[in-house]
Amino acid sequence: MKPILLQGHERSITQIKYNREGDLLFSVAKDTVANVWYSVNGERLGTYNGHTGAVWCVDCDWDTKNVLTGSADNSCRLWDCETGKQLALLNTNSAVRTCGFDFSGNIIMFSTDKQMGYQCYLNFFDLRDPQQIEDNQPYLSIPCNDAKITSAVWGPLGEFVNAGHENGEINQFSAKSGEILKKAKEHSRQINDIQTSVDLTMFISASKDNTAKLFDSTSLEHIKTFKTERPVNSAAISPIMDHVVMGGGQEAMEVTTTSTRIGKFEARFFHAAYEEEFGRVKGHFGPINCVAFHPDGKSYSSGGEDGYVRIHYFDPQYFDFELEGPVRPFG
Amino acid sequence: MPSIEYDDSKPSWADQVEEEGDEGTLPSPKETIKGNIKTVTEYKIDDDGKKFKIVRTFKIETRKASKLLPEERSNWKKFGNSEFDAPGPNVATTTVSDDVFMTFISSKEDLNAQDQDEDPMNKLKGQKIVSCRICKGDHWTTRCPYKDTLGPMQKELAEQLGLSTGDKEKPAAEPEPAQPAQSKTGKYVPPSLRDGGTRRGESMQPNRRADDNATIRVTNLSEDTRETDLQELFRPFGSISRIYLAKDKNTGQSKGFAFISFHRREDAARAIAGVSGFGYDHLILNVEWAKPSNN
Repeated sequence: MKPILLQGHERSITQIKYNREGDLLFSVAKDTVANVWYSVNGERLGTYNGHTGAVWCVDCDWDTKNVLTGSADNSCRLWDCETGKQLALLNTNSAVRTCGFDFSGNIIMFSTDKQMGYQCYLNFFDLRDPQQIEDNQPYLSIPCNDAKITSAVWGPLGEFVNAGHENGEINQFSAKSGEILKKAKEHSRQINDIQTSVDLTMFISASKDNTAKLFDSTSLEHIKTFKTERPVNSAAISPIMDHVVMGGGQEAMEVTTTSTRIGKFEARFFHAAYEEEFGRVKGHFGPINCVAFHPDGKSYSSGGEDGYVRIHYFDPQYFDFELEGPVRPFG
Repeated sequence: MPSIEYDDSKPSWADQVEEEGDEGTLPSPKETIKGNIKTVTEYKIDDDGKKFKIVRTFKIETRKASKLLPEERSNWKKFGNSEFDAPGPNVATTTVSDDVFMTFISSKEDLNAQDQDEDPMNKLKGQKIVSCRICKGDHWTTRCPYKDTLGPMQKELAEQLGLSTGDKEKPAAEPEPAQPAQSKTGKYVPPSLRDGGTRRGESMQPNRRADDNATIRVTNLSEDTRETDLQELFRPFGSISRIYLAKDKNTGQSKGFAFISFHRREDAARAIAGVSGFGYDHLILNVEWAKPSNN
């Protein structure tokens, strides 16, 4: 496969996301500009200019009307997807780490960092009520006392948010009452990324403890574990195959001391049920910070510490490849 | 022919009877919608003449779809930093990268094997890169922990046995770990390019460079030339630090050229002046400055 190389950022990519149909790909990086691309040919549709700090997160609602970005300039911004105009600016006390639209596109959530004496908060705004944005007053703000939230996604039906924490915990916060509905402590170190399956019933968490784990969205039941030897920065679930893709590599600070050949900067494909690795794709010069499957499952993209986003359309071999199952004693 | 046409326009009486019979026995299909459930009832006779009633129940679902389809989005005007981009991908931001392939791994063993291939240092792990002359350990002689204790003892021992330490040093320094690998490929690899070459003999590097300055290249040598012959020929001009005579690996015969390194550049210059054009072993020698090596 010939990857399409997107060079829209000057610094390392922090998150990439497809819209619901997969025709657009959003990318944000540690520079201040959010980019949107046509995924089919890598053409850049535009940029969302306005942030003054590293942009940590991006999300797009279901009908591709609005785009939400959160940045280390202590703001979360809402954009018109088509024109790139800024619709709303929500100032915070500390950096915005993760953000997301709920299923309806009406409610947004974002979390802020524990920083400069401020606590980590998980904030909820209802976009149908303009007063909330005008007053910068969320209808719900949940303080997180111990470990800050590093990644969060909406659960099904917009009832709760599953948030991964710095200490490896995963908590389920109700979007209505703000209470913690469920807890899971399967990871031993920071959770770098959480991504849901297409139907939102499952999510995969990528952690610094060298594993990615599959969970049930509602019950937080731990289903599968995918082990590697490097910190996992991001993981995604294929919408059509029983596959997950994981991106990682050693930490950025150690990159200069190792060669690319042994750096393990490949995207790694695991079988979701067997928990076995079956394929790798090389290409990045540094650790992969984020991966995302196209909603049709026929391509995937990865964004790296090297500042590039690569769109890969799978070869036919990928779809033909069948993993031999683990050897069982009685066939 | 006419008869066939007749058949087409009006079915034969037998068919008519059958069709009439069908219509008579089978009730017409029914369709009812109750709330969001639609029920379709049909009747059918199969080839064996058995009658079937087919009831199909549908659930009607209303789905909200985005008003904009992806095709319509593809006509959006570009904005932001791409505002003035021409239609189609801009080469400044979008390029097609080199072909990459997914490496498939069918079992864990493959994976491990691949891992080892990837790390060039792993190949060397089994082999000794350096060998200590004192304790034969896997480190430099100067870094030997027994340097102060064992070293002098060995020296004494060697002197007692009548061996000079210098002779002893040579064989220890000579063996090169990369030698077997090199002979396998049959291609000469300069020591500096061999595995571990960057590590070994780091202290020799400046010396080598000085040699390069005082190195001459001798060509048009006869096949029978030996290193000793060259030594005899060039010694009168000054002290020689190194003689390299290119030899054919199989026959051991000279390939017709050699490099002579002098300690001093003036000596080398005199050698060029003295030997160039000199008739040696029925051939006229050609001597010139050696070009600095690429390494």
